Amino acid sequence: MRRQIIILCLALASTQQAYATDDQDEQARRRPGRPEQERRDLPPIDPNAIAPPARILPRETIPVPDRWRIIESVGVKDNWLDPYNQNTLKADRPVFDDWFVNLAAISDTVYELRALPTPVGFQSSARAGSVDVFGQEDQNVFNQNLITSLSLIKGDTAFKPPDLEFRLTPVLNYSRVKVQEDRVLKIDPRAGTKRTDGHIGIQELFVDYHIRNISDRFDFDSIRVGIQPLTLDFRGFLFQDQQPGIRLFGTRDNNLWQYNIGWFKRLEKDTNSGLNTFGSKVRDDELFFANLYHQDFPVVGYTVQGVFAYNRNREGNDKPFYDSNGFLQRPASLGTERPSGYDVYYAGFNGDGHFGRLNLTHSIYAAFGDISANSFTSVTRNEKAKIRSYFAAVEPSMDFDWIRLRAQALYASGDGNPFDNHARGFDAIFENPQFAGAETSFWIRQPVPLIGGGGVAMSVRNGMLINLRTSKEHGQSNFINPGTVLLGAGADFDVLPELRISANLNHISMAKKEVIEVLRNQPLTSKSVGWDASVATIYRPTFIQNVVFRASAATLFGGGGFKDLFAVDGDSGKRFYSVLFNLILTY
Amino acid sequence: MSRTLRFSIRQVLTSLAVVIVFLAASAQAQHLTVDDVDRVVGQALAEAASRGVSNGSIAVTDRVGNILGVYVIDTSVAPMLTVSSGRGIPLGNGLEQIELPAVFGSLAKALTSAYLSSSGNAFSTRTASLIVQENFYPGEQGQPGGPLSGVQFSQLPCSDLLQFGSEFGPGPRRSPLGLSADPGGFPLYKGGVVVGGVGVMADGTYGLDAMVSDYDRNLDELIATAALRGFESPVDIRANRITVEGKVFRYSDVDLADVNTNTPSLVNLANYVKVAGYAPAGRRAGSIFGTITSGVRPDGRRDYPALDVWVLDDGQGATRYAPRAALAPVPAAGGLSALEAQTIVSDALTIAFRARAQIRRPLGSHAQVTVSVVDAESNVLSLARTPDAPVFGVDVSLQKARSALFFSRPTSAAELRAIGQQVLIPGVLTIAPLGSYVDAMQQFVGPEALSNGIAYAERSVGNLARPFYPDGLTGFGNGPLARPYSVWSPFNTGLQLDLVLGDIVARLDGSERAPQGCTALPQASSPSPTPGPTRLANGLQIFAGGVPIYRGEQLIGAIGVSGDGIDQDDMIAFLGLHNAAQRLATGVGNAPAARRADTVAASGVNLRYVNCPVTPFLGSREQRVCVGK
Repeated sequence: MRRQIIILCLALASTQQAYATDDQDEQARRRPGRPEQERRDLPPIDPNAIAPPARILPRETIPVPDRWRIIESVGVKDNWLDPYNQNTLKADRPVFDDWFVNLAAISDTVYELRALPTPVGFQSSARAGSVDVFGQEDQNVFNQNLITSLSLIKGDTAFKPPDLEFRLTPVLNYSRVKVQEDRVLKIDPRAGTKRTDGHIGIQELFVDYHIRNISDRFDFDSIRVGIQPLTLDFRGFLFQDQQPGIRLFGTRDNNLWQYNIGWFKRLEKDTNSGLNTFGSKVRDDELFFANLYHQDFPVVGYTVQGVFAYNRNREGNDKPFYDSNGFLQRPASLGTERPSGYDVYYAGFNGDGHFGRLNLTHSIYAAFGDISANSFTSVTRNEKAKIRSYFAAVEPSMDFDWIRLRAQALYASGDGNPFDNHARGFDAIFENPQFAGAETSFWIRQPVPLIGGGGVAMSVRNGMLINLRTSKEHGQSNFINPGTVLLGAGADFDVLPELRISANLNHISMAKKEVIEVLRNQPLTSKSVGWDASVATIYRPTFIQNVVFRASAATLFGGGGFKDLFAVDGDSGKRFYSVLFNLILTY
Repeated sequence: MSRTLRFSIRQVLTSLAVVIVFLAASAQAQHLTVDDVDRVVGQALAEAASRGVSNGSIAVTDRVGNILGVYVIDTSVAPMLTVSSGRGIPLGNGLEQIELPAVFGSLAKALTSAYLSSSGNAFSTRTASLIVQENFYPGEQGQPGGPLSGVQFSQLPCSDLLQFGSEFGPGPRRSPLGLSADPGGFPLYKGGVVVGGVGVMADGTYGLDAMVSDYDRNLDELIATAALRGFESPVDIRANRITVEGKVFRYSDVDLADVNTNTPSLVNLANYVKVAGYAPAGRRAGSIFGTITSGVRPDGRRDYPALDVWVLDDGQGATRYAPRAALAPVPAAGGLSALEAQTIVSDALTIAFRARAQIRRPLGSHAQVTVSVVDAESNVLSLARTPDAPVFGVDVSLQKARSALFFSRPTSAAELRAIGQQVLIPGVLTIAPLGSYVDAMQQFVGPEALSNGIAYAERSVGNLARPFYPDGLTGFGNGPLARPYSVWSPFNTGLQLDLVLGDIVARLDGSERAPQGCTALPQASSPSPTPGPTRLANGLQIFAGGVPIYRGEQLIGAIGVSGDGIDQDDMIAFLGLHNAAQRLATGVGNAPAARRADTVAASGVNLRYVNCPVTPFLGSREQRVCVGK
């Protein structure tokens, strides 16, 4: 509706302009790239109708300060408290010349209840009688993010990209976590079972310069420098983060082609909020990439994308890095724990859209390169390992009235022998998968520490791959991993315009089990991690995105491999679950 | 076609199996010959010469610790070593900066590698270095100390369990310096079984590797690697293939590619020197492990009818430590009966045979350990082992049993206070009165500590005996049983070493003193034909794997387990005792939950009692097997 108002407003404005310069003949409608339309004679004027205003008479106009404010004359008042309607602070009108300001504020509140494998504190237990490794698993998390954003934009943004934009997005975080065992939240068992933390992170700080338009359709080249969001594919399989970089991007051929070329560094993250830090050393890690989107290929409605990325990690030369809770993050406490860097190249082919009624997303990656010191074979000298891994994911879906039925499949290759010099496990740079239920699923949302198998997680928080990283935020990619196989189905039910219910059921397993067998010094009887079942609701009471309430619940029915590794439901453990309540208020 | 193929595959597999069984049988019969000893030493000599080493010592032992030869490169000058952790801790702090004949170093290194290794794991002295430091891995901040912190002070020359004397005989035998963490000691293998160890002491420093992220080119290790040629352990069972907490152990920082030589030099038989109290001059063949002469042999289902366990032998065919009734308290007074002692050891070993090994390969191997049970006065009531358990665990299991017992006794505070200042080397090495440790304990745990009958498991003792408290965390001082970190090192641990240092030092002059019971603690007041052992007659041990035994509220003994991962050792002791208690139903069992050390907050932090491992059993998904027991 707001968009409509803007269009209306602009339409009015252009009408007025037309009047203002109406000395010439009326011009026929012109569209770039189309032949000029022939003029058509108007039908005879009905003599009974009121005569149109004569062209040369002085017009009865209401003077307004500028064209942006014309609708005030019809009673639309600027209310800076109202983010939904006409608002100068939301860049609906310039503040001076053609400079616009866009202020945004989002309150993102999460309350999370969960149970996941939790070890008893090694040197000290939270309670007497804790005589086994596995402790009590219930945890809860309260997390409040206040995302504020200030943009200063030059240029009329209705038809064409802005000429210049400055943006600053600080995020304020407060979190409170409660667990049942010592030494889970902090490495010092005396820190107890609760942790409160706060952080301010700068998630965007960039200038975006519109270099040029290269066609009448506003195909363009732009450059954006600074901390900015970047997603390398449609679903965040490879990289989705906000990091400092330089990105050249634009479109061609009436927006049928879109390209991005960039170079990014990576800021250290704040351990508990996952936000960017300032003042910490910038990570010795670079990302070079280029991608190209082609719309309506091979059919109208499907967009394909090719991407090539090079992640150059030189953290093998750095001192060990400990997170703010005191846990070693780099090098991973795994294998020989030798510091190591890597050069990994990703070649990907992705697609998103629909073939007729069939919606489809697909993603294929090959990852190849070198690890400077294989953490399992670097015994008497650094031994390189060749990265040879691949990834494929597909999600077909189809809509039946208010129901969308989905299937999802994913395969990330695994390493079957940690003691050779091939690293055949696929790992992403910084995954944020919007897939298979995303954060409403247990497996993707919750970390599962590989208790007894190193200071790594079987899968990290907000990650899907079984990649044995220390964490997504601080850890290096690890290509000596079991790999991931996911097969599942889901459905979205648009029960009401303001209420959507989604359900997902996925089976997750390791592609290979040898790496974990070595780490735990334990044979596994199965590769199955288990069934992840989840239900999620999204409720938008006012039909708009400014107030969104989400709730979800997920559980993992442990499979054979998982039961080999952890105390799972039954007599020795409890059911692992993840329940989320999320309120998002957007200004 | 496919049927014939399958058939022929089956034939091949069958014949392979036969061959494997035959090989395994013959493999068990392996031992080091005199020629082997000469070859190992000759290979070391060639490498030493290529590196311009003019003096040093090379020792070869068999698996049970007999010295097969101690070679000195230049007998005109006795090579020396200096003990040093490399942290600049001055003389006067335990063994730090003490100068000793290098032969002791080479000997300790050879014996360490032989003792730590088995058919399922090949561990070197570098492996030992990794697991006895203040953090595991060394240098990894905030991580608890090495899982075997304190194991370096086992196999002590004063041990009442280990065989004594210079002459070749049954094992297991003692080491002049305990176990060594100085790189340059490797196990020797023939046919896949460990037959002994080689230790080289040429660089003059008896230390450890505190910096594990780099690659050392350690002289001792280079020479020992050359010495090892032809006797290498199977690749798949080396320390660097075995993980604990996801980290591989370290085996060696060098390999044959770093070695200069590949043919042995001629040995000069006159350079095989005598080491008083340990080895006569000359060299000799090693014993065959598992025979009566080796001192370790199958029980033959005599004392432990239900199990294929091994026991110690006196070299004449008589079992050492066959199950017997407690001397104090006697069974009539609530003490353990012979049946109870035997049942506890049997049930513990039954757990071991089921337990997933943490330090052995291939995957799916069961744990291999030694189990000791003592009475309330430290007398050994029963001791047995699984066949391939590493030999070091024989002495350590008894240390653990006695240590858990000692800390659980209400008399320990007074007994420690009774040991005053000890002047070991006048003007150089003095040990302060041990009462200071009691003071520290009472400050940490409460004024009644060590006199109120709290049941300490070995894990609880370990919590208190680390240079950082809580274990691994810097900045808050040392545990009450440890030295402050400024002077702490694996060569100066605290109470553990202070109890036995006097005896170690007294023997370093080469005098052949009979075992004195290691510590100055009082002798057990047990009525027995021979004098009972002192409280900690083979030394205090300070890592997990032992729990006290109670009958109701009465402390009547302890069980100690050693040989696999510490969580496994814990479980085998704790659960073995529990299962025996269930079977016996005589009131014997683990400490009542209410008096265990995990009910005690020491300096604001709960102690641990035991920590039973993840996925404890082979072929089972059971978890949390110890809770509530």
